[in-house]
Amino acid sequence: MTGTGADETRLDQPIDACWRRIGVSGDRSCPKLAEHLHCRNCPVHEAAARRLLDRPLPAEYREEWARHYANPETGGSGTGDAEDALQTVVVFRLGDEWLALPTAIFEEIAEPRPIRSLPHRRNKAILGIVNVRGELIVCASLAALIGIDEQGATERSARANGFRRLVVIGHDQGRMAFIVDEVHGILRHRRSELRPVPATIGKTPSAFSIAALPWKDQTVGCLDEARLLAAFDRSLA
Amino acid sequence: MLFLMFSLGTDRYVLDAGEVEAILPLMATKALPGAPRGVVGAINYRGRPVPLIDLNVLTLGRPAAAVLSTRIILVRYPAADGDIHLLGLIAERATETIERAASDFVASGVEAGIPAYLGPVASDARGLIQRVRTERLLPADIRDILFRRAETD
Repeated sequence: MTGTGADETRLDQPIDACWRRIGVSGDRSCPKLAEHLHCRNCPVHEAAARRLLDRPLPAEYREEWARHYANPETGGSGTGDAEDALQTVVVFRLGDEWLALPTAIFEEIAEPRPIRSLPHRRNKAILGIVNVRGELIVCASLAALIGIDEQGATERSARANGFRRLVVIGHDQGRMAFIVDEVHGILRHRRSELRPVPATIGKTPSAFSIAALPWKDQTVGCLDEARLLAAFDRSLA
Repeated sequence: MLFLMFSLGTDRYVLDAGEVEAILPLMATKALPGAPRGVVGAINYRGRPVPLIDLNVLTLGRPAAAVLSTRIILVRYPAADGDIHLLGLIAERATETIERAASDFVASGVEAGIPAYLGPVASDARGLIQRVRTERLLPADIRDILFRRAETD
């Protein structure tokens, strides 16, 4: 398979780095800046970035990837064997703890917004309600819900407040929102990579932690979403 | 719903992201001599042979461009016997996902005579996007040949 004529001519054209001339890295005279505020929001910038992917394949590219995926160790998981199925979790930080929940229950990750407190609520775990695109969702304190200490957390989160996110999770029966200090993203792992929860993670009650997942030089606590949502329902009652 | 977008020629098409097992880079393939048109070979995915189809060959009659944005979309393909097989689709510019409601897709108005795998269309600022029905991508005879071959390995 070789590139078609049309593709080659497209690649020959140099990329016009307008963001360096008239955009945010230039004199900011581009009329589109008024609409998009920053070049990274502009479709012209996006189209140029996408063109980087239209480059021809490097030498040995196909062979290298073929070797990578042929090896079950490096090639990631398929659905083939249920014992070792592929799973994805969203990894987030709450205080000093990295925690994870299955990707499928995540509905939305958004900027933090004002939490309106509910009158006559004494439960520490329920903070109030938040407005997510016109829908009112009960916002809980995940730390209070699963009982981890937020003291050390506040010192660190003061440094990195910009990473705080409002997370909405749920299923058909109900949804909940909570604030996390940072969302890392989605982590793919194999079931066999999960480790039992070590007894030393005393801070996270084992009722919610079902497994520990080694990640970089840290350990991520995988939470049980069913128990979490059940605990949330109980604190609402 | 989340859709994976790719290109055939200059037009844009989408697949339901729920059908997609993984997106892989282009890789070296084992040729399958005598395979039907569009079937360019098989790849080794974690030790499993997965047949590979070049969508451009199947629909436009020319192979996909060998560039970084051309990738292999690994879809779960329902076989006649109810099993789910993996099928690799080589598609150009498989680099974008879009979030659309299923109801955004309406009948294109030209349903008769077009290939069965082409579904309803949705519009956006750049034009029309057509849904591809994976399960009808292969004619029944090719599908049977392919997965019989995969099963006897």
